[in-house]
Amino acid sequence: MNAPVRPDAFGAGTLPISVPDPAIRFEAVGKTYPGRRGQQPVSALAGIDLAVPAGSILGVIGRSGAGKSTLIRLVNGLERATAGRILIEGEEVTGLNEAGWRKQRRRIGMIFQHFNLLSSRTVFDNVALPLEIAGTPRAAIAAKVERLLALVGLADKSARYPSELSGGQKQRVGIARALATDPKVLLCDEATSALDPETTRSILALLKQVNRELGITILLITHEIPVIKEICDRVAVIEDGRIVEQGETFSVFTNPQHPTTARFVEAVTGVEVPAHLEGQIRTQARDDDNLVLRITFTGENATAPVISRLSAVVGVDVNILAGRIDAIAGQPFGSLLVSIPSRLPESDAVLGALRTLGLKAEVIGHVS
Amino acid sequence: MFPDFLSPQIISLIGQSTLDTLTMVAVAAGIGTFFGLPLGVFLATSKRGELFAAPAANALLGVLVNATRSTPFIILVVAIIPFTRLVAGTSIGTAAAIVPLTVAATPFIARLIEGAVREVDQGLVEAARAMGATPVQIVRKVLVPEALPAIVLGLTLALVSLIGFSAMVGAVGGGGLGDLGIRYGYQRFMPDVMATVVAVLIVLVQLVQSIGDRLARRLNKRLRHA
Repeated sequence: MNAPVRPDAFGAGTLPISVPDPAIRFEAVGKTYPGRRGQQPVSALAGIDLAVPAGSILGVIGRSGAGKSTLIRLVNGLERATAGRILIEGEEVTGLNEAGWRKQRRRIGMIFQHFNLLSSRTVFDNVALPLEIAGTPRAAIAAKVERLLALVGLADKSARYPSELSGGQKQRVGIARALATDPKVLLCDEATSALDPETTRSILALLKQVNRELGITILLITHEIPVIKEICDRVAVIEDGRIVEQGETFSVFTNPQHPTTARFVEAVTGVEVPAHLEGQIRTQARDDDNLVLRITFTGENATAPVISRLSAVVGVDVNILAGRIDAIAGQPFGSLLVSIPSRLPESDAVLGALRTLGLKAEVIGHVS
Repeated sequence: MFPDFLSPQIISLIGQSTLDTLTMVAVAAGIGTFFGLPLGVFLATSKRGELFAAPAANALLGVLVNATRSTPFIILVVAIIPFTRLVAGTSIGTAAAIVPLTVAATPFIARLIEGAVREVDQGLVEAARAMGATPVQIVRKVLVPEALPAIVLGLTLALVSLIGFSAMVGAVGGGGLGDLGIRYGYQRFMPDVMATVVAVLIVLVQLVQSIGDRLARRLNKRLRHA
């Protein structure tokens, strides 16, 4: 016999909690390409669940062919999902016809790896293009374009052609163009992959500025982990058409769960065993040798004076082999490779002291 | 300007023939571009998965274009005489000669324009789609302007070919420099007329080619200041 259900049991009496709609939400989204003549259909994406909170920057990282290119194109309908739903600001877009998509696309800006500027148009006319397409009056276009070029720092290049610009300047034009129709969402398709590291940083800084000052939600795809580290609030790792891990950038970087994630973050968080020690590290302890430890610092602990404290409190000599301190999504993070005498009780005391300080320490091996 | 052994009558004939050639070529190229431009753009954008995807129409037009282009011009001139008579009211003379020239020029120009449009980076089409552009806007604001330098070079090539073709329309009484060369230079054995005709044709072709090259270079903003 079923228990009687009170009318208010499903929340009729509870306070409605209003959670803002994410700017973009994927619900069990899949994309399958029909097979060519007699071949099996190809699945590019499957079971994608992803939410990009309004006003945030979310980065999708994956190797080439993982499906990130398809994923980002589903958001503005350049590719159509074959399963699941995609919602933009709470509004379902999957199932729109071409005319519906065209309207939708004016609310979504996009920038590209190879910039995709029209060589026949000046900088000014390139930025004006989306406004011309939207049918904006000439006078309004001029005012808008001037403002955008000032925003991206290219006011003096208005009459130049793209061929006269550097890569970084071209991408700035791309950003100005993408912002022309006042979008709520900006899609970045490997936007810095064709740029050198220094230019990459300046473009990332501009994207961050656009995100913070204009409140534009950014979804970016990249294969470069530094891009994620630099500006992404959240990260999703994609492999073989599936998202294998996602979360806040800092926690994903400092505590990766999936091997693919671990390999990606290794490049920015890991500290390699120095070459001259490689091969000398043994798993078996011997008399009179040293223990090699990897100490990981996160958050507040990253700035703690650990080494001096170990020397002072425990009274052992700590030998630093390698290390780095960095910021991930604006939070300090460090990693240190040290060796300490492996004899007891000193080694135990060191490990205990590290635990007390709230640091993660793992034993790598032994060296003489 | 002309060697003094050419009589004033011959000189005026050469002038008239040059004018006829220019008229035939200009009108045929004009009408050929009028039809060839949209046809070329359509051929370049209507395969499966493209902007105006219509694979069947694309294949059909492709066959039609190839058929016209593979027919030797002199045979085309004769073969379409009924059509020429229908359009021009006559099958003889310079006006009538414009019809087969146009029929030959249109598919030729269409293929050249197709090639030019296909050269445009697909990334630009994608960027325009991402802005919410309609297919027609993409053609007008992206494909044609970006392909313009290549289109101008293609049209230059078409003009040069048409100057060559126009020499054959003498077969239907079309007039022009080719006709003059055959009738006076060859049949009446006047080598000085033949030489002059060839010289005028060379100058014409050079002129067309260098104007076309210069215009294309001016329109091409890609490597301008590199």
